[in-house]
Amino acid sequence: MSTPALQLRERFPRLAEDVVARARLTVVPRRRVRAARMPFVTLVSLVLLGGVVGLLCFNTQMQQASFAATSLETEANNLAARQQTLHSELQTLNDPQHLAAQAQSLGMVVGESACTVRLASRTTQSDCAPATAANTPPLLARPPKKPNVLDPKPVVVEVAPAPGSGGGGGHHGHRGGGPSQHDTGRG
Amino acid sequence: MGPTSPTSHTNPTDHKREPVPRNRSRRPAARPTEAGAAPLRRGSRRGSPQVRLRVGFVLIAMVLSLFGARLVQLQGLDPEQYAEMAAAEGTVEVVLPAQRGDILDRNGQPLAASIDGLMVVGDPKQTEDKAPEIARFLSQRLDVDYFTVLKRLRAKDSRFEYLARHVPSTLATDVLQAAEDHGYKGLSTRRDAVRTYPGHDVAANLVGFMGTDKPYGGLEEVFNKALSGTDGKERYEVGAGNRIPLGNNTEVPAVNGQDLHTTIDRDLQWYTQRVLRQAVEASGGLSGLAIVMDSRTGEVLSLADDPTFDADDPGASPVRDRRARSLNLSYEPGSVEKVLTLSALIDAGQVNARTKLLVPGELHREDRVIHDHWEHGLIKLTLAGVLAKSSNVGTVLASDRFAPGQLRSYLTKFGLGQPTNVGLGAESRGNLPDPSVWNDQIEDRIDFGQSLSVNAMQMAAAVNTIANHGVRVDPTLIQGEARRDDGMEIGTDVSTERRVVSPEAARQMTLMMERTVDPEDGVAPLAQVPGYVVAGKTGTAQRVGTCGTGADAHSCYDGTDTVSFAGFAPAQNPRFTIYVVIQAPKIAGAGGGATAGPVFSKLMGYALQRYGVAPINKLQTRLPVEW
Repeated sequence: MSTPALQLRERFPRLAEDVVARARLTVVPRRRVRAARMPFVTLVSLVLLGGVVGLLCFNTQMQQASFAATSLETEANNLAARQQTLHSELQTLNDPQHLAAQAQSLGMVVGESACTVRLASRTTQSDCAPATAANTPPLLARPPKKPNVLDPKPVVVEVAPAPGSGGGGGHHGHRGGGPSQHDTGRG
Repeated sequence: MGPTSPTSHTNPTDHKREPVPRNRSRRPAARPTEAGAAPLRRGSRRGSPQVRLRVGFVLIAMVLSLFGARLVQLQGLDPEQYAEMAAAEGTVEVVLPAQRGDILDRNGQPLAASIDGLMVVGDPKQTEDKAPEIARFLSQRLDVDYFTVLKRLRAKDSRFEYLARHVPSTLATDVLQAAEDHGYKGLSTRRDAVRTYPGHDVAANLVGFMGTDKPYGGLEEVFNKALSGTDGKERYEVGAGNRIPLGNNTEVPAVNGQDLHTTIDRDLQWYTQRVLRQAVEASGGLSGLAIVMDSRTGEVLSLADDPTFDADDPGASPVRDRRARSLNLSYEPGSVEKVLTLSALIDAGQVNARTKLLVPGELHREDRVIHDHWEHGLIKLTLAGVLAKSSNVGTVLASDRFAPGQLRSYLTKFGLGQPTNVGLGAESRGNLPDPSVWNDQIEDRIDFGQSLSVNAMQMAAAVNTIANHGVRVDPTLIQGEARRDDGMEIGTDVSTERRVVSPEAARQMTLMMERTVDPEDGVAPLAQVPGYVVAGKTGTAQRVGTCGTGADAHSCYDGTDTVSFAGFAPAQNPRFTIYVVIQAPKIAGAGGGATAGPVFSKLMGYALQRYGVAPINKLQTRLPVEW
């Protein structure tokens, strides 16, 4: 390789010297174009920082949501329990026994005649009579019978004068009259 | 051999070849070698690196092999346990309790309902110091016994004691808050559902009740599985009482129990129970029961027992009152059974309502004498008269026309001797004598309702067959269908019906039964319902009790009676069948017509008006009772 180059140089010593000199290729260290480091580092740091801060915020947010969820859940439970308690109170008020007691305290009785009103012909059908308390059962069971020690027989003292006052009054005055009287009194 | 051997090898030769006078003059032979070697080999005291490396390696290997062994132990031998322990750290597992299904009446009103509740538990380690104060506080606020709680608060070697069960949530929370304010430590709560019975004693015998941990009796027990549902569970990780977001979280949702829809009408049930109680109290009876049934569908609208109990406070009543006598008490039905005997006889074509019978005052059958409930000589009664006046003798005479085995087969078709499977467990099947023991004498007595036993539901369904024009429908307590714990499906959807007697036989029987409530010819005028035509039959049966004492005790008729009335209205197009039974009334003159009849009348009147059945302007039949 070098031989032809030498021959060439000898043949055109001067003429081509410049050209040859110029044309000779040499290996030069590659020139590095250094981009400015600053923007990149800033960018990465920002991304990193942003990520970390974002993650932190997100985590905090989630924790906050968790706290909120816990307190809301507690509140929901309390409200559900309250609702159920109220519902059960409503059921107690709806109890037929309670309604009957209320109705009876207002003087209402269970009807007994099957009186039907025909609106079209403006007549009534079947026997229409005012209601009595005959069909209205007592609301409470009879109290259990007390032993004689607790429920002594009434002491009836017969007094000759003043017949107008009547013996029955004295009887009623004592507690625990006959069971049948008790019943009719309530019915 | 380690650190000293190199010096002992090399130094003696050095010493021989190059004797150093300086060394020699100053030190004995052995010493100079050491002194001479010291500047050459620094650190020879620590030994050679190879040896040190080896030793170090052995040590490290020993430690590592310890780690390795531990690793094998952790991972290889029992990894699950450690994994669980690790997971359990900070993981909470909660049971998601399934809500018990409600038991509802036909209009959706609750007979039994569940509400959220809590149990209050205590840790005796923390509570024993202030036990008396806490016990007093709890007994005032929670309706618990002071001494029981006090003992539990002081329990030795325990860290968990139940203090109050089934407390409504709001109350328990309030109480715990108050306890905290008082500075009482060691109390906490857990979930523990509360079962409430808003109607208290309404349908209590039918519904049953919940004990502390399991149901007792009634629908609660029979349908326990369907009502309970399946508990779910949830696991999650917590930190400082809060759920960790994105942490492990698994959830198996709870499957709530099914609601049970019964055919009971709560208001009618209440009225039935009150009227029945009034009658039982007034007659001094042992117990009573009443059944109101929809004639067409067999749905039981009300099933009342007396004495009954408060399902919210079952402990206040004796065990015998907590059962459903209407299903598990069997008794001899008495004359009500004549309805079945005579309608079967009409269906068999042997008689009709106008068949003429000569009825003597008493009838001698083998070694027994059959009487009527009133004294009479030879009288002329039609079949209608036999029923209206409830003549035993007349019934037995007419029933002589049955072919052998015919009566039993009819009674079986009416449903006697078999459980009705209406819904409750422990139902009595009654007793219809087996063909092997059936004889003429037994048949004579069965004709008028003795020598066989029934439960009230069987009898109501049998009489309802006449009301339903000869077709028997299964009585039902459950709307739709529901599966009992024993796997049986019951309810209106699966109830069956079968024809027992012809429509004509049922019609004639209805006309005959109308005569029972006739003021002149019948025995039960008090069972009339103003404005409607009623068909019915009284029953006054001797009751089986125990005679004798000790070893001599045996069953016998003990002199008490079962009085009953079964009937339906309006007679020609029945809507309701009602059966009332009162056991062992004590007052004089008690009988099916006088004692049970008025109860029937009130209940029927109430039911007809409640369901808007218009009164009918129709006169009672004038079917002749005598000839």
